Amino acid sequence: MRYHRQDTVAAYLFLLPFLLLLTIFFGYATIRAVYFSFTDYDLFTTPNWVGLRNYVDLFRDPLFLSALRNSVLFAIVVTTIQTFLALVMASVLNQKVRGIGFFRAAFFMPSVTSSVVITLIFLWMFQRRGLFNYLTHQIQSAAPLILTFLAIVVVVQVAHVAWERSRRLPAGLFDPALLVVSLLAAGVGTWLLAVTGVVGARDLPPVDFIWLQTRATIPPGAPFWLSVPIPLAAIMIQNIFTTVPTFMLMFLAGLQDVPKSHYEAASLDGASPVQQFFQITIPSVRPVTFLVLTLSMIGTLQMFDQVAIFGDAAPLRSMVTLAYFVYNRMFPGAQTPEVGFAAAGAIFLALLTLTVVLIQRRLVRSEAS
Amino acid sequence: MATTGGLSFPDDTTHLDPRAFDRWQARRRWAKAGLIYAVMLAFAIVFIGPILFAAVSSIKTDPLEYPPSLAIPQLQPKNWSASARLGAAGAGDRLFGGFAPGAVVPFEITYFVREGLDVTPPEVVVPRRRPGAGPGAVLAMDFAADYASVGDLTIVRRQPSLADETGAIPGELVTFAFTVAYVGEGPTTERLPLDVTAEVGMTYVDSTITASRLERRGRTASFENAAPGVLGYVFRNYVRVFNEVRTPATRQSLFLVWIGNSFVFAFFRIIITLLLASMAGYALARLRFRGREAIFMLVLFAQMVPLQVLFISNYLVLRDGIVSIDGFKLSTLWGFPDGMLNSLTGLLFVTALNAGAVFIMKQFFESIPREVEEAAMIDGASHWRRYWSVVLPMARPALGALTIITFQGAWNDFFWPFIVLTSPETMKTLPIGLLSFRNIYGGVGDWGLILAGAVLSALPVIVLFVVFQRYFLEGVSFGGGKE
Repeated sequence: MRYHRQDTVAAYLFLLPFLLLLTIFFGYATIRAVYFSFTDYDLFTTPNWVGLRNYVDLFRDPLFLSALRNSVLFAIVVTTIQTFLALVMASVLNQKVRGIGFFRAAFFMPSVTSSVVITLIFLWMFQRRGLFNYLTHQIQSAAPLILTFLAIVVVVQVAHVAWERSRRLPAGLFDPALLVVSLLAAGVGTWLLAVTGVVGARDLPPVDFIWLQTRATIPPGAPFWLSVPIPLAAIMIQNIFTTVPTFMLMFLAGLQDVPKSHYEAASLDGASPVQQFFQITIPSVRPVTFLVLTLSMIGTLQMFDQVAIFGDAAPLRSMVTLAYFVYNRMFPGAQTPEVGFAAAGAIFLALLTLTVVLIQRRLVRSEAS
Repeated sequence: MATTGGLSFPDDTTHLDPRAFDRWQARRRWAKAGLIYAVMLAFAIVFIGPILFAAVSSIKTDPLEYPPSLAIPQLQPKNWSASARLGAAGAGDRLFGGFAPGAVVPFEITYFVREGLDVTPPEVVVPRRRPGAGPGAVLAMDFAADYASVGDLTIVRRQPSLADETGAIPGELVTFAFTVAYVGEGPTTERLPLDVTAEVGMTYVDSTITASRLERRGRTASFENAAPGVLGYVFRNYVRVFNEVRTPATRQSLFLVWIGNSFVFAFFRIIITLLLASMAGYALARLRFRGREAIFMLVLFAQMVPLQVLFISNYLVLRDGIVSIDGFKLSTLWGFPDGMLNSLTGLLFVTALNAGAVFIMKQFFESIPREVEEAAMIDGASHWRRYWSVVLPMARPALGALTIITFQGAWNDFFWPFIVLTSPETMKTLPIGLLSFRNIYGGVGDWGLILAGAVLSALPVIVLFVVFQRYFLEGVSFGGGKE
């Protein structure tokens, strides 16, 4: 290709401000972080070259090990759950109905508000006498009623479907018309049983689960690398809540391209909705799934805001992530900053992220071939 | 459920009347639509629920009230009219109330008195109480207590009643009336707090406006403000957000300062992003030059490196005012001799690099046909003219979308302001300021103010989202949301 000299000059003039910023705040910054990671720089004295010592020390530092464990568990658990939930929700909502725009906007609301606002709201709900413990208490108390309701739904539905089939009508197990009848019947039935006093809500003391100021883990007493601290679990719940809608909409966009005839053909063969989900839905949105998985892994591995906003509301060890570890070593309050050490942590995080992305790329490529 | 419900079509349905079968099918379709709407409604409740619940709770006196109740006094019309009346009596202000010289505030309070007990009037005190914890507790302020005088209590109504809250106990409801007057000259105070304490055996039932707090098993009723005005009553926490947290020196409302900072930051960040991204995008999309592919790869790569790698050096760059040579900082040239930490200018420097925006603009320019530039080319217009007067005006839709996305990003940005703006409080943007709120009030469990601040700071973006939904949702299919 021929280049015009005039074009080249103009292009670099157009790019000048951007390239300047890119050089200082990206290129120079990256190189300097790599350099610092091999030194003992502390913001005040001149840096001395220490070779790989910072990297070796990382794996001896209890806070880093906690951060590594928390970040990896956070990324795996959150990515798995939110991808699955997003896909299930998208396939439930993959319908041509009026007013879907309103609902899409509603689902997206948590994603447009700032992380500070959402985290503060969740922090408030995670208080000992907050909404989470209150709802848990309500559900526990109402468990007999809920179970009764579900039992009646199943019994009525099965009976009704059997009867329709005996009339040789092609009713499926999840037939919507019959399901509506079953739900109504269960509502009335449960109400009658509750009024006559056969079943009733249990009288339980309020739930006093401590979400924040605790060092306890889930599951309790599990080995270090497999135990999720409870404050971290609280952040997981919040993160899933805010990101699921975004991913759901991405799946929804992918699902609209799947021809309806696939599902019709499958149901002619007698495949149940669950079988259809696994045999048609999941394979046909595979490209979107890889995109979602990659974005989710990058986002979760770099989780920072929630830890910073939780602040002293929970013990540091129980929620620190790699990203926050770097910040914490750079600005350790009253102690001397360990810039070299922080830089080593940052480079480790970058390499980890890069590895995950590359592995997923390779998977996509082998999938395509 | 998502699909056809596991339906199979056996051939032997032909024995049915075809019209009956059609009706059967139609019924299924209707039921299915109904179920879909129910599920969507449930999802919507789950996703908007917490925000909505927080917004409703933010007007409560105590958002941590247990069990959480939606029977909120602030939502009762009876309290609206009463608080407007009291505000008018207190300071002639039906909206925000207050306590001004010459005011006479009439008040009534009803107690349940057990049978056989002497009816003694409760004790009414105007306490010297400061609002909330934190900065509000250290500011010099005027107390209504220094100027208020409580008149004698008279019994205006007695009415036999069978029950108090605990069960069927015979007794009577006694309503006392009194006035609180402002004696002499003095400043207008924002609030008129009241504590009403009755004898053992009497329990609070009702009053002109519902009590903020009950103590000692309902004997003591506390009122944050007995002359609140309707907005001062319903949106008390919101008024506190603006009034209570001020700088000690100048008594500026910090929340207003933060809002101002956030708008200034967002405004300049939009200008910078639009200009830089459209220029860089134009060059990458339209001009053929050596190094083009390399630069584009760098743009893609720049999006992948975590902020944690970059912030170490960038923090130092701001501290040193770009570069520091023998103690002379380059940023002295544009008015920052001490480096650019804790300044919006510094924040704009570190956030100006927006590779994603360059990518969006490049994509857009590539979609504009080359022919539109050719006329200008024949006229011999310079590259700058072609960019500025031909291509850029055509890019209005893309620039509009970029403006909205950039505003949202700047308004919500947490990481960089958190690193760059640490002190003083007046330098902060809204999200970082809210974090100060959390640190000050969260520890003492005063969540009303925190939630009110959070709701206020979410409003601009929510309004923007409702109006320009399309841009946000298109962004999802394009690149996905960031955490």
